[in-house]
Amino acid sequence: MSIENKKVMVIGGGIAGLTSAWELSRFNIDVELIEKTPFLGGYAIRYCCKATDECRQCGACTVEEMLKNVVNEPKINVHLATEVDKISNNGKFVVELKKSSYKPAQTKQGVVSGYSKNNSPLHVIVDKESYNKNPDACPEDAVELDTMGFSGKLDVDAVILASGFQPFDAEKKGTYGYNKFTNIVTGMDLESIMREHGTVVRPSDGKVAQKIAFIQCVGSRDERLGNLWCSQVCCPYALRMAEKSKYQNTDVEATVFYMDIQNAGKDYAGFYEKCKKDFRFIRNIPVDVFPIENDSLSMRYMNEEDGLCINEEFDLVVLSVGIMPGPDNSKLSDLLKVALNEDGFFAGIDKLNSTSTLKDGIFLAGTVAGPKSIAVSRAHAGQAAGEVIKYLGVS
Amino acid sequence: MTDMINTDMKEINIATDVLVLGGGLAGIKAASEIAGSGYKVILVDKNTELGGQKGSGSFIGLQEDFKGLQDLRNQINADSNIEIFTNTSLVNAMGATGDYTVSLSTEGKTVQYNVGAVVVATDCCVQALNEKYGLSLADNVLTQSQMDELLSSEANKEKLANKTIAFLVGLGQEGNPLVMERVLNSVLAVQTIGECDTYIYAGDLKVASNGLERMYKESREKGAVYFKLTEQPEIVENGKTISFFDSVARRNIEISPDIIVVEEEILGDNLNGEIAEMLRMDVGPSGFLQKDNVHLFPVKSNREGIFVAGSTRNLSGLPSAFTDVENIALEVKNLLGNGKKIVPGNKAVIDEEKCVICLTCYRCCPHGAIYWGDKKAIISPVACQGCGICASECPMDAIQIGGFTDDEMVEKVKTGITSANGTPRILAFCCQNSAFEAGEMADIFKMPLPDGLQIIKVPCAGKIDLDYILNAFVAGADGVMVMACHPGNCKSEAGNTYAQWRVNDAYRMLEEVGLEKDRLCFVCTASNMGSGFSDLVVDMEKRINELGLSPLK
Repeated sequence: MSIENKKVMVIGGGIAGLTSAWELSRFNIDVELIEKTPFLGGYAIRYCCKATDECRQCGACTVEEMLKNVVNEPKINVHLATEVDKISNNGKFVVELKKSSYKPAQTKQGVVSGYSKNNSPLHVIVDKESYNKNPDACPEDAVELDTMGFSGKLDVDAVILASGFQPFDAEKKGTYGYNKFTNIVTGMDLESIMREHGTVVRPSDGKVAQKIAFIQCVGSRDERLGNLWCSQVCCPYALRMAEKSKYQNTDVEATVFYMDIQNAGKDYAGFYEKCKKDFRFIRNIPVDVFPIENDSLSMRYMNEEDGLCINEEFDLVVLSVGIMPGPDNSKLSDLLKVALNEDGFFAGIDKLNSTSTLKDGIFLAGTVAGPKSIAVSRAHAGQAAGEVIKYLGVS
Repeated sequence: MTDMINTDMKEINIATDVLVLGGGLAGIKAASEIAGSGYKVILVDKNTELGGQKGSGSFIGLQEDFKGLQDLRNQINADSNIEIFTNTSLVNAMGATGDYTVSLSTEGKTVQYNVGAVVVATDCCVQALNEKYGLSLADNVLTQSQMDELLSSEANKEKLANKTIAFLVGLGQEGNPLVMERVLNSVLAVQTIGECDTYIYAGDLKVASNGLERMYKESREKGAVYFKLTEQPEIVENGKTISFFDSVARRNIEISPDIIVVEEEILGDNLNGEIAEMLRMDVGPSGFLQKDNVHLFPVKSNREGIFVAGSTRNLSGLPSAFTDVENIALEVKNLLGNGKKIVPGNKAVIDEEKCVICLTCYRCCPHGAIYWGDKKAIISPVACQGCGICASECPMDAIQIGGFTDDEMVEKVKTGITSANGTPRILAFCCQNSAFEAGEMADIFKMPLPDGLQIIKVPCAGKIDLDYILNAFVAGADGVMVMACHPGNCKSEAGNTYAQWRVNDAYRMLEEVGLEKDRLCFVCTASNMGSGFSDLVVDMEKRINELGLSPLK
C-alpha cells in the first residue's frame, strides 16, 4: 500500500511538523523537514509537565515522544537552521533552501540550548563574541551556528506548512510593565521557570512565589489590537499552572483575572470546580501594574460585587499571552501563494478541511492555521498527512 | 541498555474488513475514507436512514447544510466496498485486533463478520436544560433545538419579527464552545429578521473555537445585549420576566421576553455504554468512549484496533470529527496494511503447563488483548502492548514478556546493586514512558544524580513485580524507587495503579522484617521533567543517608 520515491517537504519542526513528518514516514514517504531554529520541538517542547497528584492532560510529554520518533526515523531528513528561499512548481515543487537568519533575543553567554534530550546538537553557539569572553562556561559539545544550515535545491511532491505561531509580545501592552519589572512574567516564561526549578519561583530573588496573579487574555480577544480570536490554550495553561503551584505549596494564593474562563481537558467542569475551591477568580482584567517594595507588584481592579476599585499586592504576576500568527506568515504567504485569513493565520479551503489549501499540493498543519492546543495540533497534523497521502495517491 | 524485544518475529494473517458503528456524518465519512483505502467496510446504523440526526446543521456547528452530504451518501451507496446495514445494532464482539468476530442484529436475524478493526462513530444527542432554570417548555419557552427548527424555515422565521428573545446559556451547565456556537448562530440568524431585541444571559462565554469571538462581536454590533452573570437570573412565571441585580449600575434590570431559548446539554449516544461493554472499552468523562489520557489522543481507545471518532470520544463538531476520521483512516492503514503483519513472537508468552486458567490475565489486561480458545488463554500479538501487567499479576508466573522475563529482571536487579563506593545503593525501576526518559534527560543535561543510582527500565510500571522489589532489598539495595507515570497518564491506563498497590504490599512486608519503610518509595514523573527526576532521586538519597546503609548487606 505504500509507494516509492515520493518526497514531501515539511516546513517547521514544532509538534505539528514533527507529527505530520512522522505520519508520512510511516507510509514510506521521504520527508525533508525544514526548521528555522537550530532545534526541533518548537514552543511545545519547552512546556513543563503540569501534573499534580494526577495528569492534567496538557500533552507536553507527548512532544518529547514525537521528537524521539522523528530523530530515530531514517526516512526523515532534518535541516536545522534552514529556511525556504524560493519555491516554484514545474509539476514538482522545486525548493531552494538557505541558511536561516535565526537570531535569538536572549543567550546564555552566547550559547542557546535545546530543551529536549533528543535535540542534537543540544547546545549552539550563536554569539561568538559573548562566548569568547568565557569559553569555559560553554558545554563541551556545543556547535557553532555558522556551521549549521543547508543551502541547496530540493524537488518535492508536496509541501506541508507547519511553521506555527508566536506568543503575543507582552511589551505591546505597555501598562503591564513586562521587561521593566522583574516579577512580571509571561505564561511562556513561567513554563521555563517550572521546567528549570520544578516550582514557581520569582525571577528577582529565586524565592517560591506565594501570591500569584494570572491575567488572562493578554493579546487575545482584544478589539483595540484587532485580535478578534480566543487563543484557546491560555485558560487551560493558567489554570493547570495555578493548580500545580497550589498542589506543590498549599500556602500559595493564586488569583485569576479573566473575562470568560475557557474549558481545560475532557473533564473540564470537574476541573473548574476544583480550581474555584483552590483559588480566586475575579472577572475583571486589571489595566495597570505598579512596582512596590521587594520587587512585588500592586494592581488595581474593579470588584464585581460592589463596583469599587481595589488595590492589591502580588509577589508574581503572570501574563497569559496568547497565540499570534507566526512572524513569517506574510513572507510565507507570498512565497507559497496561499492566502492568509483576516486574522493573519493561513486559511484552509473550508471548515471541514482546514488542512488543504486552494493551492494544489500545499497543506497546513497546526497553529499556522489558527490557535490550537498540543492535542488538537497533533490531530490536525495527522489530518494533513492523510490529505497529503491521498493527494500523492498512496494506497 | 540493549533491549531484546522483537528479536523473534513471525508473520501472521489478519482480517482486513472494518466495522464502522454509526451512520451519522462522521460514520459515513469514515466508511468512505476507509473504503477508499481499499478495505471492505461494514457500516452499521441503528436508524432507518443514514445521515444522523435531523437538524444537525446547527448541531454540528455548520451555518449551512453540509453540502457534500448528499454526494457522500451517494458515493457510499454506490461503493461496492461498503456494505450498509440500517436498523441494525451490534450484539456481540469476540476476539482481538486483526481478528474480531462481530455479531449484528438486523431484521430479526443475526449475522456475523470477521473484521480487523472497528471504528465507533456514534452521534451525540441533546438534553434540554429548562428544568435547571425552573422553566417548563411552552410556546414562549423553547429549547435550542426548537429554535434551530424554527429558524430553518423562512415562513416560521417571520413569526419572530418584532419579538424580544432571551437566550439562557452557561448558567444551567458549565457550557462549551459547541453550545456557544449554536447560540451565536441563532442570535445572528434572529438579527436578520426585522426588529428583534435579543438578550443573552450567559455564564462564561465559551469562545475557544475558531471564529466564535468574531461572531460574538458581530452579534453585539448588530444590537444583541449580553449579560454576563455568575448565577442564574430570577425568572418569574415561566419566563414572563427575567431580572437580575447589576452590581455596577446598582440597579435591577428586568426584561419581559416574548420567547426564551434554553440551552441544551450535548451528550454521547445513549448506546455508548452498551457498545463499550461489548467491545471492552474504557468509558471516560461524561460517558464518552475514550479516557482522558493524552496518549490516546486523538483517536485511540484502550483497545488496539478500535478507534473512536467525533462525538463518540468527546464533545465534537463536524470539523473536528472529520479531523478524527482522517486520523483513523491513517491508523487503519497502518494497522491492517495488506493483511499480513509481522509481529514479535515473544511479546507476551503463556506457559501452558503453568497456566491454570484462573482468568486473572484476562481481567487485568487493560488492552483487551487476552481471550480464550480451546481451554487456554491466548494473547493476541497484535493487540498486546507488552506492558506486562498480566505477567506480574499472574499468580502462577506463567506469562513472560520478551526482553523483560523474570529471569532477566532478577539478573538486572543483582548486577545493578554491585557497584557503589560507599554511597547509598539506590535501585530505581523506571517506566520507559516517563521516568526512564526523564532520567536520561537529567543525565544528558548534567543535573545532579546520586552516584549509587542504578536505573532499571521496565515497559510499564505495571511490570514491576513485588518479587523484584523484595529481591532488590535482599541483594543489598539501600533504597528502592518505583517510578511511574502520573495517574491518568499511563499508556496502559492502570499500570501505575498496579505498581502502587504492589509497593503498598511491599511496605507491609518490610515492616514485618523490620526494614524502614522510607527505603522504598513510589513516585510519579513525566518524560520531559529531567529536573523533577533529579529532585526525586536526590531526595531519596538524602533520606537513605539519614537512615544509613541497609542492614541486610
